[in-house]
Amino acid sequence: MREIVTIQVGEFANFVGSHFWNFQDELLGLASDPGSDPIFRNHNLNMDVLYRSGETQQGVATYTPRLVSVNLKGSLGTMSSRGTLYNEGSSSRSDSSTTWFGDVDTQRSEPRKRKLFLKSLYEEEQKVGKEIEDKDIVGSLDEEVECWTDFSKSHYHPQSLDELNGLWMDSKDFNNYGIGKDVFSEASRGEEICDRLRFFVEECDHIQGIKFLVDDSGGFAAVAADFLENMADEYTNVPVLLYSVRSPMSQMSPKKTVSNKLHDAISFSRLSSLCKLFTPIGLPSLTGSKASKFLNLGDEKPYRSSAVYAAALHASTIPFRMQPTSSDSSEVSNSMDVNTLVQLLTGRGRQNIVAILDSAMPAPTLAGKQLENTLLTNLKALTPEVNEDVEDNQAVESMCILGALRSEDKEALVSEVKNAVDASYEHAITKTKPLFCNLSVSRCPLPVPLPFPSIFGNLVGIKGEILSSPVSDSLYRGSLDVHSIPVATRWRSSSAILPFLESRMGHLEKLGIQWGAMGSDVVRSWGFGREELQEMRENLSKMVSELNPQFFESSDSD
Amino acid sequence: MSVRVLNPNAEVLNKSAALHMTINAAKGLQDVLKSNLGPKGTIKMLVGGSGDIKLTKDGNTLLKEMQIQNPTAIMIARTAVAQDDISGDGTTSTVIFIGELMKQSERCIDEGMHPRVLVDGFEIAKRATLLFLENFKTPVVMGDEADKEILKMVARTTLRTKLYEGLADQLTDIVVNSVLCIRKPEEAIDLFMVEIMHMRHKFDVDTRLVEGLVLDHGSRHPDMKRRAENCHILTCNVSLEYEKSEINAGFFYSNAEQREAMVTAERRSVDERVKKIIELKKKVCGENDNFVIINQKGIDPPSLDLLAREGIVALRRAKRRNMERLVLACGGEAVNSVDDLTPESLGWAGLVYEHVLGEEKYTFVEQVRNPNSCTILIKGPNDHTIAQIKDAVRDGLRSVKNTIEDECVVLGAGAFEVAARQHLINEVKKTVQGRAQLGVEAFANALLVVPKTLAENAGLDTQDVIISLTSEHDKGNVVGLNLMDGEPIDPQLAGIFDNYSVKRQLINAGPVIASQLLLVDEVIRAGRNMRKPTA
Repeated sequence: MREIVTIQVGEFANFVGSHFWNFQDELLGLASDPGSDPIFRNHNLNMDVLYRSGETQQGVATYTPRLVSVNLKGSLGTMSSRGTLYNEGSSSRSDSSTTWFGDVDTQRSEPRKRKLFLKSLYEEEQKVGKEIEDKDIVGSLDEEVECWTDFSKSHYHPQSLDELNGLWMDSKDFNNYGIGKDVFSEASRGEEICDRLRFFVEECDHIQGIKFLVDDSGGFAAVAADFLENMADEYTNVPVLLYSVRSPMSQMSPKKTVSNKLHDAISFSRLSSLCKLFTPIGLPSLTGSKASKFLNLGDEKPYRSSAVYAAALHASTIPFRMQPTSSDSSEVSNSMDVNTLVQLLTGRGRQNIVAILDSAMPAPTLAGKQLENTLLTNLKALTPEVNEDVEDNQAVESMCILGALRSEDKEALVSEVKNAVDASYEHAITKTKPLFCNLSVSRCPLPVPLPFPSIFGNLVGIKGEILSSPVSDSLYRGSLDVHSIPVATRWRSSSAILPFLESRMGHLEKLGIQWGAMGSDVVRSWGFGREELQEMRENLSKMVSELNPQFFESSDSD
Repeated sequence: MSVRVLNPNAEVLNKSAALHMTINAAKGLQDVLKSNLGPKGTIKMLVGGSGDIKLTKDGNTLLKEMQIQNPTAIMIARTAVAQDDISGDGTTSTVIFIGELMKQSERCIDEGMHPRVLVDGFEIAKRATLLFLENFKTPVVMGDEADKEILKMVARTTLRTKLYEGLADQLTDIVVNSVLCIRKPEEAIDLFMVEIMHMRHKFDVDTRLVEGLVLDHGSRHPDMKRRAENCHILTCNVSLEYEKSEINAGFFYSNAEQREAMVTAERRSVDERVKKIIELKKKVCGENDNFVIINQKGIDPPSLDLLAREGIVALRRAKRRNMERLVLACGGEAVNSVDDLTPESLGWAGLVYEHVLGEEKYTFVEQVRNPNSCTILIKGPNDHTIAQIKDAVRDGLRSVKNTIEDECVVLGAGAFEVAARQHLINEVKKTVQGRAQLGVEAFANALLVVPKTLAENAGLDTQDVIISLTSEHDKGNVVGLNLMDGEPIDPQLAGIFDNYSVKRQLINAGPVIASQLLLVDEVIRAGRNMRKPTA
């Protein structure tokens, strides 16, 4: 067994993570429920890869994610930072002043009200109160969710949730690289975070990698960079898969300021130098994007947008937990470990470490005449600033398909999926075929947990099949109408990412380095010297030239 | 106004409004922290929105827990926290001192004085006070044998402001002994070499000093000993797990056999390393000896198996800092490669044992010879109690370290403040020309905030106390405040001492921030309404 430790840094990263752990929790629940579909009961996925078994001091067994989550103070909502399982009980809470016999001055902040969903979970546990209708819960979630804990049904270990103390600023002011710069090193915050990580890594017999989600749209980019630097020292040979996730909100303002552009350039260049594979996720707008043909997303609520990204994240990491012994069983095929994936995407010819993530949600049904093309055309990039028209015969891809359907409600066999994918590549007319494509298949679809947002359009059926005619008038179908969906994701290492890289390099050059640049004061106030910036530009241009051999020639000539 | 031309949304507060905004913020912060000060202060229990409890009497912790929004308050808070970072204590004093300086200034400014003149007065008073401090301090001789009594008194003074007397006195010895344990001649004291470890125990409130080290993890093999005596300790940073190395990054195998071959080759090199360690064990261990490996890198199950079969106890992924501490506690040296293995690199401990509490494991490395590193082990029933004791221990350690490094202390219980104030009023003020005199006076009166607040927190009448203290002082005695009855006492006899460096830092930083704030005559903020009350 090869463990993975997950790290979530920043607000939106935790939103995505919260959905992700809800999926896992749902999978665990379905696996142990005798009444559930057999496809969920023997999915041949090893949950121990992501979870740890433990025991409380009272001797109660626990099963919690191997997770370190870094939050701003106060962004945990009603959740205690110690999680829910390891509470010492109410008795010891009252004897507060065993260390001081003088006066006690109690400052009680208004207890936050549990949202309806959490209330229902809590009451179910305590077996009090009357049953709350699922319908009401789903309805209320959309209105009520403010922080990521409001819709989380997973239990967390006391070591998992970290709050950054003493920052004295609003989350909306924590919005650039400079502000986050010393946060990690000051006041032993970094030490505390590293201790939490060490707790989980020490338990691992044979760690295969670290999955690192960061909301790098603000000061958390700097926190993450410092954290990664520290990890590189400590766990030198453990590969880090970095997902940079951004909410549509963080990219809303039509006109990006100089400081925004510089932030993007610097945070990308710092973070990408500290990981093995960098996957940017986060479109500027989901409503208008092609990613949501069958979905009704909206950009305002991180609760909704993060759900799509979480589904892609789940699907893309499934190969890491397929049971390697059953490499060609009837349930899963082609397991991989993190290192294999990294080498597959970055190690062949071109050393490009920035990957595009595409997803199709729900993945199209395999039956029907035009099946050959729908799969590939339905896969839409979740990575911003991608050039879709590029022809790149050097591209390397790794695809993962979960629970693909053969017809209305029949899951396809692994071999059928393989054939279908082969066929669709054969028949693809418009696109140049990639140099290499890896395919992993699991028959287990993505279960839709109760607190999943109602984002499905009226063409999506109960098993995620795409219907020919609208099933109801409701434009927003959620977990009560759709129980599971097939998902396909694809990692691409291709020159289609060039616009993403070039814009960052351009901004760094134009706004930060050039003589008399508009942003030179900004970068100086963030504590970057000229040499540092030049080194960053150097690295970025190296990345660009990996994908675009002409680049060096053109830049050499002048 | 020109700013409005540039940005129509900008809001501008002019002279007096700006000044009053900053002064009010400073006073507000002072009010919050005031009740913390001294051994009679109140402890603050903070209950968060999710029911989390935080218990603290430490200004530093309290500031970090607060969501401060006001820019002036943030400036003061940063200074106070910096004070703690540099000298380890005095956060509360800094905040109330700055608050009081602003309060005194307000009165002068309302009477028509220009802030600039006040600031000049502050500068003069600050320099005079620092000079006075040099004469007032009590030198302590810190030879090879430190004066344990004075260290204890300093530590006790600090601890009693954070914990109740009995607990404070128990911790006093622990704190002093642990600093003396890690102290090395001719070297700066590195407090990180004192590990502070905690255990959550249902009923127990107990703190003890472990001469040696307590690690928060155990061995990961069922057959390894839970208790071993006469242990050779190998501290190392060597990977004992099979991992795909970087060198093979571009190498791909074409069939299953090749893959197998590669894996076994990799595995073999790990095994070689384990075997070298086992060889060393066989060489050094006698009949009754044991061998313990504490490794910063990972150890995988096959390696653990090999080691367990030889009766070796192995711990993996030790904290980086513990590698240093281990070497200081047990002797030997940290080994970075199996080629450097020698019997001399091994340390020694009389006893190594494991303690299990639920899923948490602790490994005690005890009975070491000549330890230069030690552990303070705190047991408490819940997290907030542990956190509070931990904060107090940290402050205690810092005060002992400061004393050793300062080689002097300052009489406490408000004695210094009273003496300095009288000095400023009676001596310094006369030498100053013109209106800056008022600045000196304001500064002098602001100093009194410390004894005043101490008295107030003890439920005494502040005016009575100040009068009796100053008159006693003018008789030529050095006096502090007895918080029991409000009468003057001699702090020397009562054993109340403060850190010299804390006081110095306080007098240095306070007036600087206050002056900066006083000289603000315009506050501009683009596009946001400042007058709206912020929570």
